[in-house]
Amino acid sequence: MNHLTDEQFEDLLQGGATEPAHLAECRACRDRLAEHRAVRARLRSSFASVRADAALAERIRRSVGEPRPAAAPRSLRRPSRVHHLSRFAWAGLAAAAAVIVAAAIPAILYFTAPSMAVAAQAELVRIHEGNLAAHHEFYTDADPAKLADYLKTHLGFEPATPRLGQGMAMRGCCVAYFRGSAAGSYVVDTPRGPISIIVVPQTPESLGLGRVPGDGRTCWAGAFATNHIVAVRLGDYSYCAVGEVPQDLLTAILLDLGLAERS
Amino acid sequence: MADRKDFESLAMPHLEAVYRAAVALCRDPGEAEDLVQTTYAKALARFDSFEPRSNVRAWLLRIMRNARIDALRHKKVVGATVSIEEARPAIADPPHADETAWTNAQDVLNNFPDDDVRRALGELPDDQRLTLFLVDVEGLSQAEAAEVLDVPPGTVKSRASRARETLRRKLMAYAKKFGWIGRDR
Repeated sequence: MNHLTDEQFEDLLQGGATEPAHLAECRACRDRLAEHRAVRARLRSSFASVRADAALAERIRRSVGEPRPAAAPRSLRRPSRVHHLSRFAWAGLAAAAAVIVAAAIPAILYFTAPSMAVAAQAELVRIHEGNLAAHHEFYTDADPAKLADYLKTHLGFEPATPRLGQGMAMRGCCVAYFRGSAAGSYVVDTPRGPISIIVVPQTPESLGLGRVPGDGRTCWAGAFATNHIVAVRLGDYSYCAVGEVPQDLLTAILLDLGLAERS
Repeated sequence: MADRKDFESLAMPHLEAVYRAAVALCRDPGEAEDLVQTTYAKALARFDSFEPRSNVRAWLLRIMRNARIDALRHKKVVGATVSIEEARPAIADPPHADETAWTNAQDVLNNFPDDDVRRALGELPDDQRLTLFLVDVEGLSQAEAAEVLDVPPGTVKSRASRARETLRRKLMAYAKKFGWIGRDR
């Protein structure tokens, strides 16, 4: 009987490889695989408490550039040319401004509901950015039972988790607050950058997200600032993936939700 | 010229991963922080050549690995006491007579404080330590780890397997020492 090679074990640990028939017949190989999985899980969890000091993050931020000024859209930062205008031109501008203001007020009233939806998207992005803060603390999935307890205690249910592997790793899980209520929030490191999956009871439509094709499942999508947002509805909750990564990557991760297994 | 704002928005979200890697490589926390700062300084200097569609985390970790090698070489040149060779296991590996399965591995491993597990990892040679860290802790694919380490994917597999086996033996030795598992299995 030929036992599994180191390479085969590594492929199995990595995920995605088909289990060789030998594994079903050989207890020694099964035990060895279980041992390696246990060592890997414990090694990963041993780093969960390792967090960069906020002072280190600040030092690096200072060294790579000045602290960010209050965000201003690029268009607003263009040099102004109004000081070249004549007195007559000023009068014309004032008249034009009055017309614009008169037209804008009904428009603002008309779009009040959509602006609330935009605020919801902004809040999702704010949660995501908060998750990425250097000092943020997470519960990891190294101990699935503890994580499940934590989520059930704080949320009253256990959200579905994304399928990992393929260069993706769960950074951790925490409870955020969305619209004044507790919301589950996962951070996943993907090959294209970190994303958050935020689980909220609101429907995707009420978040201002529009329907997009989703490989057999209905998906909703939107964008806020430089972040894409994609949502799917599972049970009574919307799973909103947020991040500065392509929309199709967010969609692919969400479409695997519910199929994931806790290891 | 590199846009510092773009760099900050791309690189800073990976600070935790870079810091964890530095902790895995350096035993001294101050040294780990220095390595992280050096990594970000070097990354900023090379940001012009960064390919926007590539993996930022892998790019940063590769820069960190090279910075670590440079630092060790420098220490060797100036006569410091630490080198890659000296990062060999400080605690002797147990005899290879423990080929039997460690059936309650999960329970036994949960007895170890996080520091002890990280210390056992720290006793592996640098190349094995970083490989195992990238694959097991950061969850990089074998191809991504190969890119960071500048070795073929097959080497990543063999190193990771060897490293995990060595780590397992070390932890098993500790567990025996503390009586968590029998000595004569």
